[in-house]
Amino acid sequence: MQPVKLCAFLVTIDLLIKSEGWELTNISTPIIEFKNVGLSYGDDEVLKNIDLELEAGKFYTLLGPSGSGKTTILNLISGQLRVTHGDIFFEGNIINDVPVEKRHMNTVFQDYGLFPNMTVFENVAFGPSIKGMSKKNIKTKVTEMLTLVKLNQYADREITELSGGQRQRVAIARALANDPEVLLLDEPLSALDYKLRKEMQYELREIQQRLGITFVFVTHDQEEALAMSDWIFVMNDGVIQQNGSPEDIYDEPINHFVADFIGESNILDGIMKTDYLVHFTGKDFENVDAGMRPNERVEIVLRPEDLDLTTIENGKLIVTIADQSFRGDYYEITAIDDDGNEWQVQATNKSQIDARVGLTFDPEDIHIMRFNESENDFDARLESYEGEEDAEK
Amino acid sequence: MSRKFQWGNIYLGIVFVLLYLPILFLIVYSFNAGDVMQGWAGFSLKHYNELFSDTRILEIVVSTFLIALLSSLLASIIGTAGALYIYNLKHTVIKNVFLSLNNILLVSPDVIIGASFLILFTVMGFALGFTSVLLSHIAFSIPIVVLMVLPRLQEMNQSLVAAAKDLGANNWQMLSRVILPVISPGILAGFFMAFTYSLDDFAVTFFVTGNGFTTLSVEIYSRARQGVSLEINALSTMMFAVSLLLVLFYYVISTRAVKNKKRSTRLVLPASEGL
Repeated sequence: MQPVKLCAFLVTIDLLIKSEGWELTNISTPIIEFKNVGLSYGDDEVLKNIDLELEAGKFYTLLGPSGSGKTTILNLISGQLRVTHGDIFFEGNIINDVPVEKRHMNTVFQDYGLFPNMTVFENVAFGPSIKGMSKKNIKTKVTEMLTLVKLNQYADREITELSGGQRQRVAIARALANDPEVLLLDEPLSALDYKLRKEMQYELREIQQRLGITFVFVTHDQEEALAMSDWIFVMNDGVIQQNGSPEDIYDEPINHFVADFIGESNILDGIMKTDYLVHFTGKDFENVDAGMRPNERVEIVLRPEDLDLTTIENGKLIVTIADQSFRGDYYEITAIDDDGNEWQVQATNKSQIDARVGLTFDPEDIHIMRFNESENDFDARLESYEGEEDAEK
Repeated sequence: MSRKFQWGNIYLGIVFVLLYLPILFLIVYSFNAGDVMQGWAGFSLKHYNELFSDTRILEIVVSTFLIALLSSLLASIIGTAGALYIYNLKHTVIKNVFLSLNNILLVSPDVIIGASFLILFTVMGFALGFTSVLLSHIAFSIPIVVLMVLPRLQEMNQSLVAAAKDLGANNWQMLSRVILPVISPGILAGFFMAFTYSLDDFAVTFFVTGNGFTTLSVEIYSRARQGVSLEINALSTMMFAVSLLLVLFYYVISTRAVKNKKRSTRLVLPASEGL
């Protein structure tokens, strides 16, 4: 009897732990939440009904062209701006009217905003000394932060003696010295040269993972966003166009804007004849999308790296090579099909200009975008037919 | 090219000779043994002796410097606060109105300012003397300080303010730790300008000095009317020497600041590789 009892006991414990865990994840509130947030200057609507949730400890990116509203969202989080309507929550509490200096977040500004009258040490010590930390603790804190950004040799330097990359690091150290729960970064890498920017991308990601705090990073550079983020919000015209993991956003862009803004794309008009059959450039192609009206007008996205050049017999389409340029690890080829559509192709081999070749791709490389489909509709549709597929299996 | 330079130098030389000749003339005659500015009677320090035994004039020197120091200090404080206020005004029309009011005071003739102060003080029944001079000097110095401080504020990077707030500073901490240090060169320049304006102001002071109290410029003027005594030459020479010292002092501290900057950057360069 004893072993059976023990077993039952263990199972009960296990169930308890599991249910606890389930409850815990369920009640854990997002660190930052926007509910129907809008911001207008007079008649000019800069942000329209933004809903978003940020979980603690993740690296988020707000990505979009200038004027898309990404920095506005950042300034709303930091408290530099106030909402016109809607609510902003921090750990479940409304913070609409909490002033900047009372929020548990810090910002790395685009032009760094370093105090020119102070040394590197004094800049980083500014936040802790405002908080009233003791001299000894401040010194420990500043040394820790400067070590984190690899500037511990530079504590006594004047700001004017630093290079752009070093100033960037000081700005990061200064913002982190306040132990923020959320670090806001407003295009901090845009002033750096290409190589330094790459380096800083790695380092920022590393710092974020080491500290385990939430980063909200604003950028217009899609490569940067894809390389660094756990989750990306793509913004345009004051609206979140799409949010998701970098892979989701790259592989399943929801509309023309996202497909065009993230990576290179071939975008064509087409018709979804039935489930799993799409018509474009005068031909029918098998694909993997479903759940649309018969003969619905759609847009087709094919990524240049998913396209291959082949012999005319093996090609799904026949194209003429119009132009090519060498890009180091691949050739970027522009080809024209018989309908006059232009195709961007990334090929490993060099081609002959004016040669006629076949163009091929796999059914799963054809990505379908419906007109005016919202993210929720998109997710629901995907779930509906993926569920069907599973049921069939 | 070199020829042009020659002509330019000659021109400059003539201009400076013409500018400094009267002062030089005055200085030379302060050492004259005679009592008039005509004919050199030999070297002597007797006018300086007279000057230092003239307690009235020494008192006036002290009060003139006191007025200049106090008025420029107070004007620096009020003017900086005013510049901060104008800078923070969101409404551009009101901002421009304030700026225009400030500039009008700066360009309006001293005589008018002096006369209006005289009228104001008499209407109010305010006794003329030290306080009335001090008040009017503060008043005409404030626009100078505003004019020197405001550009510094406008040049200041806006994200400094945002960063200070972001790091938890309240308004006072932001002002005292970030804004004031950043604009301090402007405040210092405003202070020095106000100091020199106050030191040699005649027109405004002439109206608001009552009986008894007077400043150096007014005193020299009234003495000169009674016939020039070479004691005034001696006094002027001393004043000139003081201004020369001030200029020298300013030159030394400003070049030393530049040298310090340069030396520290030079020290930095070999070590700054890598990042």
